[in-house]
Amino acid sequence: MRQIALYGKGGIGKSTTSANLSAAFSEMGLDVMQIGCDPKHDSTRMLMHGRWIPTVLEQMYDHKEIRSEDIIYQGFGNIRCVEAGGPEPGIGCAGRGIIATFQLLEKMQALYGDVVVYDVLGDVVCGGFAMPMRDGYAQEVYLVTSGELMSLYAANNICKAIARISERSSAKCRLGGVICNAKNMDNEQGLVEEFAKRIGSKLVCFIPRSNSVRAAEVNRMTVIEHDPASNQAKVYRDCAKIILENTDLRIPTPLALEELEELAREYL
Amino acid sequence: MGGCTLTGALSVACFIPGAVTVVHAPKGCAHQTFSMLHALMNEAETRIVPEILVSGLSDKDVIFGGEDCLRQALDRAAEKKPELIIVVTSCVPETIGDDCLAVCREHPYAERTLYIPTSGFLGGSAKDGENAALIGLSALAEPADPVPGTVGIIGEKNLESEVEENFAEVQRLLDLLGLTVSVRFCRNAAVSDLRKLGTVSCFILRDGRCADAGRELSRRFSRPVVSGFPRGLSGSVSFLQETGKACGLSAEKIESAVLQETKYQKKMLERFANLAGSRVCLGAEPFEGTLTAAREALACLDMTESPNGINVRLPFYLPVGVSGTVKMLYLWRRAILHG
Repeated sequence: MRQIALYGKGGIGKSTTSANLSAAFSEMGLDVMQIGCDPKHDSTRMLMHGRWIPTVLEQMYDHKEIRSEDIIYQGFGNIRCVEAGGPEPGIGCAGRGIIATFQLLEKMQALYGDVVVYDVLGDVVCGGFAMPMRDGYAQEVYLVTSGELMSLYAANNICKAIARISERSSAKCRLGGVICNAKNMDNEQGLVEEFAKRIGSKLVCFIPRSNSVRAAEVNRMTVIEHDPASNQAKVYRDCAKIILENTDLRIPTPLALEELEELAREYL
Repeated sequence: MGGCTLTGALSVACFIPGAVTVVHAPKGCAHQTFSMLHALMNEAETRIVPEILVSGLSDKDVIFGGEDCLRQALDRAAEKKPELIIVVTSCVPETIGDDCLAVCREHPYAERTLYIPTSGFLGGSAKDGENAALIGLSALAEPADPVPGTVGIIGEKNLESEVEENFAEVQRLLDLLGLTVSVRFCRNAAVSDLRKLGTVSCFILRDGRCADAGRELSRRFSRPVVSGFPRGLSGSVSFLQETGKACGLSAEKIESAVLQETKYQKKMLERFANLAGSRVCLGAEPFEGTLTAAREALACLDMTESPNGINVRLPFYLPVGVSGTVKMLYLWRRAILHG
């Protein structure tokens, strides 16, 4: 079973990328599960044709005996969709919610299939959001970033978390590479490619900005489902293939803030 | 007493008749803290059963926020129609960011609800909890004109053994100065008594442990503070001088009290005249200051300290005034005369 986690700054397109990669994996005939690890619980919405599925945390406390059908919903391409859920903004502890979700999924033996895709909230704001990287869950992390400095900054922070977690002898978590979800900036691909190189990794995929993503989203579908013949669908399929074939997993070397800023200046 | 702020805050808040204390925490925090208090209560032979309610934060509350949980605990507390609801918190609501103050202010019982932000281990130690509770509870009192000749006792340790004996000794000294204690903050004092805090002419702290609270009360009510209960014999004399001065008494009045006290001390020490010439070896000092008080008593009784002397124990708590010294001397005499 391949366990892949996508991390990156909020709003960078992790959920869109995750859902399209899951759809592409499914097209390859793989048994896929996607787990949204974000309190806003919209990771799997395009796979579920716009449906907001009940979250694990809602169900966990509403049912005395929770069953797998209470939290796992089948979406496009028979992809098993799960949303961890969490508190409303500004209250409670979403990180603890992620931990509780994983404890339950583990207990229910719900983590199975050929590929499990974890779509994790932006920055690793607390230990809870690093949970998918620990205990052998997400063994391959892919950083989703654009060429914007704050996006690279968040990606660099996630590298710090991976590097820290990797120090433990039991840790299996490694960096698989960087996915550039482009914002149409000048020199964007070169910048992200260089960033990936400097952290000791590589750019695995460059996803250009495309209207087909918007079109798919307003129709509550992934690009793969909505416009399977589009160039954008091909990009996602290629990316999925590269990830599946990727065996080059590394412990990253995060950059100092000054170096990161200098890098961004170089590519202005 | 060790532990987190919760332990310290509860040791103050639990001893206000007519009040209910709500602990916003998981059940385990309240249980652990109360077990410690219970053990101390047994030791101090305190028979009060404190009114404590725990909100019982669960894993669900940690994830989704514990404000509802606190609200429900306040509802349960309000059903008892207490004079006061005191809310203290563990580190869990602090960690997850519950806005406890807002919940307390929005509650129908808000007028009689007092939130004391303690925050468990995040707020510091038990000592910090005691100070937070004393400072928090002082909000019950409005600043007022001082009533001459009155003092307030601050921060008596409710679970300290011999707390009433120590108070009696302080009261004896205050009688010499013609002063009365109008509030013991917070030792079995009803809410109506606590509200008198602003009227006293001087605050007397139990000891340095409540110095933070003393500073805050002094600032808020603009009153002088006496830093602690008297330690030993000379400590009693200086306590009279310091307190008399703080309360604005005349030099003659203070001098007269000192004279009376000196005579009293002489009379008390005569009881132990048969210890003169004894050589003793003092035990380990449990609290800083005990050794000084003990050596002073030795000198007054013409006793000497020697490593080869008879082993005598120092009291666990600092001897308060003459009565504390006398108790220590009884212990010594038993060891010297009877082994």
